[in-house]
Amino acid sequence: MQLDIFALLQIPEQYTVMLQRYLAAMILLAVLIIITKWQGIGIGNKLIVGTIRGTIQIVLMALILVYIFALSDLIVIFGVLTFMGVFAAYTARSNLERIPGVMRATLPAILVGALSVMAVTIALEIIDWRSGPGEFIIPMGGMVIGNCMVLTSLVIDRMWSNAQKQRSLLETALALGATPMQATELTIRESIRSGLLPNLNRYASLGIVSIPGLMSGMIIGGVNPLEAALYQVIIFIMIFLAGMIAALITSRLFLREMFNERAQLTVTPPEL
Amino acid sequence: MSDSPILELEKVSMAFDGKQVLRDVSLILHHNETYGITGPSGCGKSTLLRVVNDLLSPTSGTVRFQGKDVREWNPQGLRRRVVMVPQEAKMFPGTVRGNLVWGLRVHGMTTEDEQLKAILQEVQLWPIDLDGNAENLSGGQKQRVAIARALLLKPNVLLLDEPTSALDTDSALAVEKTINGLLSDYQMGVLIVTHNKEQAERFTSKVLELENLSEAS
Repeated sequence: MQLDIFALLQIPEQYTVMLQRYLAAMILLAVLIIITKWQGIGIGNKLIVGTIRGTIQIVLMALILVYIFALSDLIVIFGVLTFMGVFAAYTARSNLERIPGVMRATLPAILVGALSVMAVTIALEIIDWRSGPGEFIIPMGGMVIGNCMVLTSLVIDRMWSNAQKQRSLLETALALGATPMQATELTIRESIRSGLLPNLNRYASLGIVSIPGLMSGMIIGGVNPLEAALYQVIIFIMIFLAGMIAALITSRLFLREMFNERAQLTVTPPEL
Repeated sequence: MSDSPILELEKVSMAFDGKQVLRDVSLILHHNETYGITGPSGCGKSTLLRVVNDLLSPTSGTVRFQGKDVREWNPQGLRRRVVMVPQEAKMFPGTVRGNLVWGLRVHGMTTEDEQLKAILQEVQLWPIDLDGNAENLSGGQKQRVAIARALLLKPNVLLLDEPTSALDTDSALAVEKTINGLLSDYQMGVLIVTHNKEQAERFTSKVLELENLSEAS
């Protein structure tokens, strides 16, 4: 029956198998949504919207990837990375709708964190980008930007929810004359640490438990395994450094959303 | 002792979301003076202390510390001199010592254990394990650590919000005695919020009774 629909839509046969697999995977998504509903985790809508949006985005990206990989002008490449950074900050804002000022805190942080690390990596020729600038810089940049997005979102989420839940502790600190930075330093430190933890785990189990995508892709693409493995370590270091820079910048910028110029807490109590 | 007031509140009003909590509150606090604020729950006693500590800005009216509008003070500089001990004695994660010196540390100051011991004796909390986890202290012990933490800053004005609510009568009397004893040493004024009228009459030289504006209206 399904094959008839594909034939009706004149979808070439080579794609029908993949589309069937994609549709079959939706069963897994349905199971996931049922579990999140059952457990009251409340991310069902985000998963549905994320799947639709993510599919469209990645299909479009796949279609234009061939052109992007062919890019050789570093300015254009950094233009693409900037666009990716802006989109990452927008995504962070969409996922933290209840919190004001997310974009103002994440956008500069992601751009500075990710782009500065990419620029230094290129300048020091740590990655062999000359043979195919777009092919190397854009996927690596994507990974670095993606991790900056995750880490900055986590820092903001923690800072905000801690300010709500531990309001009296925060005000105790302010009442003793602490600056907003001093009053929140512990939260910031903990959120950066816990945000880095998943990648630190992957880093520690590299090659034994986790076989990361970049290395696998490079090996499949015919790159020497040793070269691919060392690139993977390099990308982890880039991810950590860019993430750290982005998290520190975002935490400082976000303090402006949490406190006014009199160092008074402006975070609203949680809605019951 | 200087005759000029250390703290003045002039027609201070405060409203949250259109709901009036404080209306035209005025008071004058001098050095070596203990001023009590009493009133039914919800009358804005704690809000008043938070306004004086500049954790909240009043809707109208003026708060002056040492003759200068608090808005002209650097917030950290003001709160280093006008220190508040909130009703709920919150401990920062870490040791008792870490909590005691927390205020000093944020202002780049240090102290010796001897000084910590002296202040803990004043608030009847000595002996205590300075390296113990502060979170394991009882409510009364936490309250005394919070008072000691504030006193270590040698404030000009001490704002106490129900400072002895978790203490037994003997400990409460001891803390009152300590604070009264430190008034002249520190040239300090004390503003104390208490629901306990007896305590206000016993401990303070002046009492301001606030009314619950939501009930009044």
